[in-house]
Amino acid sequence: MRTLWVLALFVLPFGMAYGVAATEAGITPAQAVLMSALVFTAIVQFAAIDFLSAPVAFFSLGLVALALSGRHIVMSVALSKSINELPIGQRLLTLAFLSDANFAEAQVRAKNGWADPGLVLGGGLVLWLAWLIGTALGAYAGNLLGDTEAYGFGAVLLTFFAATLLQMGRQSKGMGLPVLVSMIVGVVTLPLLPTGWNILLAAPIGGVIAVMTDRE
Amino acid sequence: MAFYLALAVMALAVFATRIFGALLMSRVPTGPKVERFLEGLSVSVIAAMVASLLIEADSRIIVATLIATVVMAFTRSMNWAMLTGILTAAIYPLLLDFFASGIG
Repeated sequence: MRTLWVLALFVLPFGMAYGVAATEAGITPAQAVLMSALVFTAIVQFAAIDFLSAPVAFFSLGLVALALSGRHIVMSVALSKSINELPIGQRLLTLAFLSDANFAEAQVRAKNGWADPGLVLGGGLVLWLAWLIGTALGAYAGNLLGDTEAYGFGAVLLTFFAATLLQMGRQSKGMGLPVLVSMIVGVVTLPLLPTGWNILLAAPIGGVIAVMTDRE
Repeated sequence: MAFYLALAVMALAVFATRIFGALLMSRVPTGPKVERFLEGLSVSVIAAMVASLLIEADSRIIVATLIATVVMAFTRSMNWAMLTGILTAAIYPLLLDFFASGIG
């Protein structure tokens, strides 16, 4: 869980960036914070800024939100083994706070594919709070806090995922080829597909390759 | 008013994507092949994300990530890996200066 505190540190400036961008586009600070609280998805929130100038194209906005958050679907599938053991109410509550970072953290600590839903929820709450506080800071206090990019926070996300990948690679056998193929597909289709869809495509392909390379 | 409707649309959409995967899987029979697929899926999501982020990153972030990965390989400590990664990114301009003046 200690790692999630460091990630909350990244989410905070990122949230601030959103708060600033949203208020600069005319969204009120209160609305920006509400957005972060109820949507809790950075890519969707940033993309939506363009959509919120009147008149709102609700249908397009909905499609964009679905497409950009498509990655949640594969993460939700990946967590399903342990999540589906919970009663439906807890399942929905836990999944409501699903995000890249707590997903990765739960997966890397998983035993036999059983990822701790408590970690997903607990970690998710920490990330959510940091996102909210960041948004509020950015929306209400705006440019007072200067450029956090210089402090090296931009590296936080990538270093976390790269290190996590290394750990996961150690724990699971025969993942070399799935990882390689997934990376290639992900990178090759990045410029070709709408945002986030390259992950949606690459991950299941990696999954299928993992089944094919299973030597057990 | 339009804002709140838009907000509802977005909130519902992202919630739907969050729960859809697990709900779908609750109707799918499990077995060793399915579990292996899920295992591969999890690793591949992270792998694809790392690759996508790396390809768009500048040299500063790439170097920081490389160093963090090496530290991770040797220490097996996430905290050390991230710390060295962040530090590398923070002092990168100084590192560049240092090496540039060495060559020049």
